[in-house]
Amino acid sequence: MMDIKRIISKIERDYIISNLKKEERIDGRGLWEYREFQIKNDIIASAEGSADVSLGDTKIITGLKYEVGEPFPDLPNEGVCTVMAELLPLASPLFERGPPDEQSIELARVVDRGIRHADCVQTKKLCIKEREAVYILFVDMYVINYSGNLIDAGGVSALTTLISAHIPEGVWNEDKHETDWTGKYITGETIVKELPFVITYGKIDDIIFLDPSLPEELVCDGKISISVTEKKITSIQKSGAATFSIDEIKNLGEKSLEIGKKLRKDLDLLQYLNKID
Amino acid sequence: MPLIIKDEYPEKLFREDGKRLDGRSEKELRPIKMEVGVIQNADGSAYLEWGNNKIYAAVYGPREVHPHHLAKPDRGVLRVFYRMATFSVFDRKRPAPGRREKEISMILADCIEPLLFLELYPGTSFEVFIEVLDADGGTRCASTTVAALALADAGIPMKSLVSAVAVGKINGKKIVDLSGIEDKAGEADLPIAITWYNEEVSLLQFDGDMDLSEMNEFLSDAKEALEHIHKIQLDVLKSKYLKLQQETKNDKEKEGKKGDE
Repeated sequence: MMDIKRIISKIERDYIISNLKKEERIDGRGLWEYREFQIKNDIIASAEGSADVSLGDTKIITGLKYEVGEPFPDLPNEGVCTVMAELLPLASPLFERGPPDEQSIELARVVDRGIRHADCVQTKKLCIKEREAVYILFVDMYVINYSGNLIDAGGVSALTTLISAHIPEGVWNEDKHETDWTGKYITGETIVKELPFVITYGKIDDIIFLDPSLPEELVCDGKISISVTEKKITSIQKSGAATFSIDEIKNLGEKSLEIGKKLRKDLDLLQYLNKID
Repeated sequence: MPLIIKDEYPEKLFREDGKRLDGRSEKELRPIKMEVGVIQNADGSAYLEWGNNKIYAAVYGPREVHPHHLAKPDRGVLRVFYRMATFSVFDRKRPAPGRREKEISMILADCIEPLLFLELYPGTSFEVFIEVLDADGGTRCASTTVAALALADAGIPMKSLVSAVAVGKINGKKIVDLSGIEDKAGEADLPIAITWYNEEVSLLQFDGDMDLSEMNEFLSDAKEALEHIHKIQLDVLKSKYLKLQQETKNDKEKEGKKGDE
């Protein structure tokens, strides 16, 4: 078992920081390196899309369910996509039972905003009948093992889940005033357009590094998560007590676009599209 | 890929050739795959795939009791939390735990407690977290089986393992290991667990109707299936230790060679 405490000893903290000052990480990575991503798609038979994503020892399983409901009055021809996160007490002694706490809400919100503002989910394609029936998608993330940087793992997990989607196709029956099922499926190919990646950096003193692991997350002053699409920054979240200079933020914006480009190529998430004839 | 859009029960639960809908014979179990040590943070953990069921179990303990008033001065407490993921069932489940999950958690705790030496751990708690990620009938039995493995993986002293399976009746025929659809559409469902140190029944529920001779047959069918499941559990645990033994042996050999040089 890994030794996990809420508080890290001074000696461990000093060790992590002195390593970072030499541009080294305690797990042997460079400052701008991700741990290894491992992705499996469509693993849950009961879900309409799912993914099992590991980032180092951090593991998140995400599933997609849908309901048909009424659209919001101000967006009468658009479906809805919501993201939820559960930090299971199974995943770490640091997680407690009970209703979602701040950390799980932040995880769900940051992933949700990354997707929402990136033109990722084509909500207009999730409309069955204007003002009457739209798809409501639930992307639910379950943390199975917590070893730092849930946000980036969650982002890839949610995105892979949406890409692997296969939702029964409905058409509006005007006479019966309800949805009929065609027997065909709407897949990720229709639902997903842009692929946003959320990229998280930790900061200790004036050192900034990518993808904080659990010990680094516990000692760092704060974090910043930047969501990027191919060419644009779509959302930013600064969390924790660290402060970032204007120059640092400019640099991180540039860096994020670069890292996003690399992730897009390396992970090649579109390979997880479901092909249904 | 599920092709069912509406949750309708098929009229027949047996195919033309007499096999069950998923191709099994009456007393055949679904494929079972188990693994231990899957969650690095936990003191012990296990993963189980039983047909379409996919379940993780993690054990933390002995550790401090939260909330504190639940601690017992003369013995440890075992707490089991059985939970289902929102996407594990046909209609999305609400995220908060419901009455069913709380009842099953209690049943499982009562089933597992006889195995442990709780009197050796006063003032502490053992917590077993079970997360059903994909459900297809018989999750309480599968959860019992995987929880026992996770406890053993945690190195907690146990009298033995416990294994569980459901037996039941569909279209008048007695079958072993009901799938989701058989569970819903069948006439009888009897989940049962056996603790192997005394070969006695530690979990037993029943819904349906049966006469005495049927009950006797159910029990002996279950015992036979459980012996098979118990063997898989033991093999999984053994293979973990054989692997460790092999690794230490390799390490020693390496060190030995270094010494020669």
